[in-house]
Amino acid sequence: MPHHSRRHYSRRHFLSQQAFGLGGLALSWLLREDAARATPPKPLLERLTYDLKPRIATREPQARAMISMFMQGGPSHVDLCDPKPELTKRHLQTYTGDIKYDNAAEASAKLFGTPWKFAKYGQCGMDLSELLPHLGQIADDICLIRSMHTGVNNHGQSISALNTGAIGSGRPALGSWFTYALGSESQNLPAFVVLSDPGGLPVLGVENWQNGWLPSLYQGTVVRPREPRILNLDPPEQLRGPAQQQYLSYLERLNHEHLEAHPREHDLAARIQSYQLAARMQVAAKEALDISGETAATHKMYGIDEPQTRDYGTRCLIARRLVERGVRFVQIFTGNQTWDHHGNIQKALPDVCQKTDKPAAALVQDLKQIGLLDTTLVHWGGEMGRLPVIQNEKSIGRDHNTYGFSSWLAGGGVKAGCIHGETDELGHKAVKDVVTHHDYHTTLLHLFGLDLERVSFTRPTGVGSLLDGQTGNVVWNILRRGPREEKA
Amino acid sequence: MPRVLPLIVLLAMPATLWAGQPSGDAEHFETRVRAILKAQCWQCHGEEAELQGSLDARLARFLLKGGDSGAAVVPGNHAESLLYQRVTSGEMPPGKKKLTPRDVETIAQWIDAGAKSSRHEPESLPAGDTFTPEEREHWSFQPIRRPHLPEVQHPELVASPIDSFLLARLESRGVSFGPPAERAVLIRRLTYDLTGLPPSPEAVTEFVADDSPNAYERLVDRLLDSPAYGERWGRHWLDVAGYADTDGYTERDAERKWAYKYRDYVIRALNQDKPWNEFLVEQLAGDELLTPPYANLSPEQADKLIATGLLRMGPDGTADGGVDQNVARNDVIADTIKIVSTSLLGITVGCAQCHAHRYDPISQTDYYRIRALFEPAYDWKNWRPPPARLISLWSNETREQAAAVEAELKEVTARRDAELDQLVSETFERELAKLPAEAQGPARTARATATAERSEEQKQLIKENPFLNVDRGSVYLYLPDRLTGFQKKWGDLIEACGKKRPADDMVQCLTEVSGQIPATKLFARGDFNQPRQDVAPGELAILNAGLLTIPLGDPARSSSGRRLAYAQHLTDGQHPLVARVLVNRFWRHNFGRGLVATLGDFGLLGERPSHPELLDWLADDFMRGGWRLKRVQRLMVTSAAYRQSSNHREDLDAIDPENRLLGRMSVRRLEAETIRDSLLAASGRLENKMFGPPIPVTPDDVGQIIVGVDTRDSAGRPTGKVVPLGEDEFRRSIYVQVSRTKPLGMLEPFDAPTMTPNCEQRASSTVAPQSLLMMNSAFAVQQSETMAARIAREVGSDPAAQFRRAWLLAFARVPAEAELSAGVTFLTEQALAAAAATPTDPKAPKPDPAQVALARLCHALVSSNGFLYID
Repeated sequence: MPHHSRRHYSRRHFLSQQAFGLGGLALSWLLREDAARATPPKPLLERLTYDLKPRIATREPQARAMISMFMQGGPSHVDLCDPKPELTKRHLQTYTGDIKYDNAAEASAKLFGTPWKFAKYGQCGMDLSELLPHLGQIADDICLIRSMHTGVNNHGQSISALNTGAIGSGRPALGSWFTYALGSESQNLPAFVVLSDPGGLPVLGVENWQNGWLPSLYQGTVVRPREPRILNLDPPEQLRGPAQQQYLSYLERLNHEHLEAHPREHDLAARIQSYQLAARMQVAAKEALDISGETAATHKMYGIDEPQTRDYGTRCLIARRLVERGVRFVQIFTGNQTWDHHGNIQKALPDVCQKTDKPAAALVQDLKQIGLLDTTLVHWGGEMGRLPVIQNEKSIGRDHNTYGFSSWLAGGGVKAGCIHGETDELGHKAVKDVVTHHDYHTTLLHLFGLDLERVSFTRPTGVGSLLDGQTGNVVWNILRRGPREEKA
Repeated sequence: MPRVLPLIVLLAMPATLWAGQPSGDAEHFETRVRAILKAQCWQCHGEEAELQGSLDARLARFLLKGGDSGAAVVPGNHAESLLYQRVTSGEMPPGKKKLTPRDVETIAQWIDAGAKSSRHEPESLPAGDTFTPEEREHWSFQPIRRPHLPEVQHPELVASPIDSFLLARLESRGVSFGPPAERAVLIRRLTYDLTGLPPSPEAVTEFVADDSPNAYERLVDRLLDSPAYGERWGRHWLDVAGYADTDGYTERDAERKWAYKYRDYVIRALNQDKPWNEFLVEQLAGDELLTPPYANLSPEQADKLIATGLLRMGPDGTADGGVDQNVARNDVIADTIKIVSTSLLGITVGCAQCHAHRYDPISQTDYYRIRALFEPAYDWKNWRPPPARLISLWSNETREQAAAVEAELKEVTARRDAELDQLVSETFERELAKLPAEAQGPARTARATATAERSEEQKQLIKENPFLNVDRGSVYLYLPDRLTGFQKKWGDLIEACGKKRPADDMVQCLTEVSGQIPATKLFARGDFNQPRQDVAPGELAILNAGLLTIPLGDPARSSSGRRLAYAQHLTDGQHPLVARVLVNRFWRHNFGRGLVATLGDFGLLGERPSHPELLDWLADDFMRGGWRLKRVQRLMVTSAAYRQSSNHREDLDAIDPENRLLGRMSVRRLEAETIRDSLLAASGRLENKMFGPPIPVTPDDVGQIIVGVDTRDSAGRPTGKVVPLGEDEFRRSIYVQVSRTKPLGMLEPFDAPTMTPNCEQRASSTVAPQSLLMMNSAFAVQQSETMAARIAREVGSDPAAQFRRAWLLAFARVPAEAELSAGVTFLTEQALAAAAATPTDPKAPKPDPAQVALARLCHALVSSNGFLYID
């Protein structure tokens, strides 16, 4: 299923070049492949090797790549995308329902109606808050899910549930599963890239992109918010440019002289080539991360020309460039607890919306205009939403709520201009068409053409999988192709 | 009198079931078909008591007779043969794995040629071990016999008995040894092989200038006596032992705090040149050399317990939650057997856990014989998880001290809790006072009422006023300083008290529980839910098992004595595999390739030895010489073969491109640890401190594993705190924590092994991530800068002097004129470029251009092949 890109680089642009891996830990995959090859001939007793060569999905996939914008901390759905007139009506009244607080000392039972106005956007008439005007512009391209549920009220556990399938730690991340199942279409770039925030790593830190018990080749590679962007792939500051070229050319001279003194040592010649390859890899990654060649219009669209949106916009644009070059899974994290508004929500929430709204919308628009949205699944959402009641009357905020919150998806086989699920009249718990993390994952696998049972890994303690025996249902209502068309 | 029975009485010795030699060129059953059927069919058709479809596929005769469906084979007509039909239709073997087209073709040819057997087959076969003459005659199962030194045409080239064997082979092919290596090359090669470190510039200069006749021998002696020798050769043994500082198995990967004592024991043993027969007996059965209880041990006694750490090296998840205990326990036993068999026997017995070995003559019963040796210590039905297997080295006196501290600690904790309860009650009262007066009474009552007995009203009251639930765990939320003062005060007190406690001193070891000897069962298909007959401990039947006698239930012994008997049997000088496997490893670590290239597989699929007589001579000499490694080591490195140049020669390459005959030395890449250690040596940062707890590793802020203390908070977030490790950061890699889930980023790309459970043979790959690591990693760049600073300190600012020093530090030789002038040009150009460069950080002081240039030079030298390879 070829896609149609207007861009110079097609996904397979680099495929003809030699394979390589990236990054210390992240740079290990080629090594593994080669290690297997370098092992002397041995009885071939089911020796398992792993690589990142592209693999064919079980069924025809609708999504080929995924960009997940992870809004760490828990965006307040009742203030952003799940309007609750009843909550506004009962503003400051006492809530009598059941509530689980994270912080009991500051907890109150006082309901708090949203201070922001909602309006209908798009032909679909999606109600969104004034804090997300740009999202409003793409309302007809996205599918808003208002009934997400993980039911575990801590950040770490809920992130694990959404990003690894269960609340325990040490499990493979989503990106690891997708690259394990499907490989990568780029052999010059990491298959699973994480774009971290200058505001610090999300809760759970580096665990968010770990391979767990999958081979370490499926670990996410971090593109850092500052130079060197990719450790080991990028030279340190003082060695950039001509400095490194001179180093490399002197090194090559040394190696050639050494080879002349040791003729016919193939390994020595191979290492000379491996340095050349490494240098080319730097170029490929550098090229992918370099947004300076993008047009001014593109920069403007992502808000890279404005200080507020520069950082997040840059990362969204990089994500697009990576997916365009065949990277399978990109996850953009907001900084540590950026959306965790226990207090001061009236100032802090607009701030973070301003930083992220425009770039996130631009990403969808941009993918659409270059023809990649159809095959790229875009996700926006955090690990939780917030409670309808006030936390901390002195500096108003909202406490955790993992019983009902919102996320949106776009592209990759998902219906456009669609709203799915509902929370109760106050926005506390998902009550209609609840989407658990298991449902979410089942749906993702379905969109990538993968069979739930077949994406598994045998480990000493048994067969492990994303769902690990939990039940999840494909959320057919949000998909373009229904179950009947699938079977046909 | 202990009741000792020779094993031969216990085990029906497998008979050689038929005699005669295979004959003729036609495809016979034994030629290829038997091996195919053995691997693919016998499990259901021959090995198990119940024959599927009543068909036994172990003899041609049985196939002709057939089973329930009739004859399996119709001689001369493969198309009509059921065997052919079933395997081509995909019906057999069941499951995913099918016969290859070539296997099917072989079977068809054999049927068409008359389905003949090359020998007279017996009428029937007993279930169990059946060996063919070919299997019995496999080279590695034969006794080790000391061969005569072969005659050579040029005895003047022979420097060590080793050379006679190598040279005779070379001469028979019309070639000879190459010229001796240059002295600078030789000292670098030898120093790396014996110590894992580069020679110091002074040592190089001295050796190159020393023309006394025994200069080389003195160098060998000096290096063999160096403490770094044990670190180098200890690392080799730790690979096969599967040494790790963590439990592995699950993602929890708990730390093995005391594993390092085993690492230190190995290093000390190698430095002391402890005879390997002792060394192995201690590792397999050190506990059985002592008498329990293991208390008030002398250092020598403690060592015997520490040595059994070998058998505690496998991954072990039995202390973790969420694992199936039965699976996890049996996996520990299986991994331990793998470690022992690959390290000492050079055979993979693991396949025989579920069915007879597909290729080697090892039956399933054999596997459980070996398992029975370990089961008294690893009793899967009466399991002791890792923490329960620690033995304290405290003296009685220390124990009393510790008990006193515990009592004090308990008292302090009680006082702290009382104060905390007071705070809880004050907080409650304070919060309560904020309620309207009329609500206070009911609120107080609601709090005092047990949860289960609260009325609906009371529940609602608590929901609206969560402070009513305030307790020890949540009281901090109500206090302005969040309990920090309280925590500090009591934390300090408890810490001060804890400091009085004597430091723990434990051993991670393998012991038995006196009087507890479980019966070992054969597990049908390896499934512990399907235990079958009892199996007595013993040696593999193919290996002349009659020589092993196991004491049975000696009441005078506190342990089963099984491992001790086995260890003594392995080291009694008669065992065909142990000494061969060991000297072959020693050979590989000096010459780059084993005489048997497959270090861990001396079985039928392993490679044949390139020099079988030499291997036997070495094995025999090793044992006769008292199992001393340094002695064998000296023989190897003083040989003419070892001292040759590594240069290729046309005549040699034409007949021996892989250098199996050793007409030259092989060029070898440094191992992962050696690269890191060499960078530290070149920069002058290498810290020579030996032994002790491992240097910790931790993920950095992007997840790359570095040397450092893990300061992430409980949510896994980086705290930014750095706990200085001081000089420890620069110690040799053998002292860096080996974490099964967190391999050091600097080592992993260069093929540092993953211990699952052990590593019988390292790979040596050449891949781009290694290049990127050398080009761009913080470690390589920092060490280059440190090296530059060192050089400037040592030789001043003259570029030529700097270059010479850098060259000597990186390559252990003096540069040639052309190299020098190219290098000085590079230095000059780089200095100019650095002076002209715009600083990246305008506020930082501008670095000295000459120093920048020198650092870049060092960086290029240590990234180059001259540094990464040994000639």
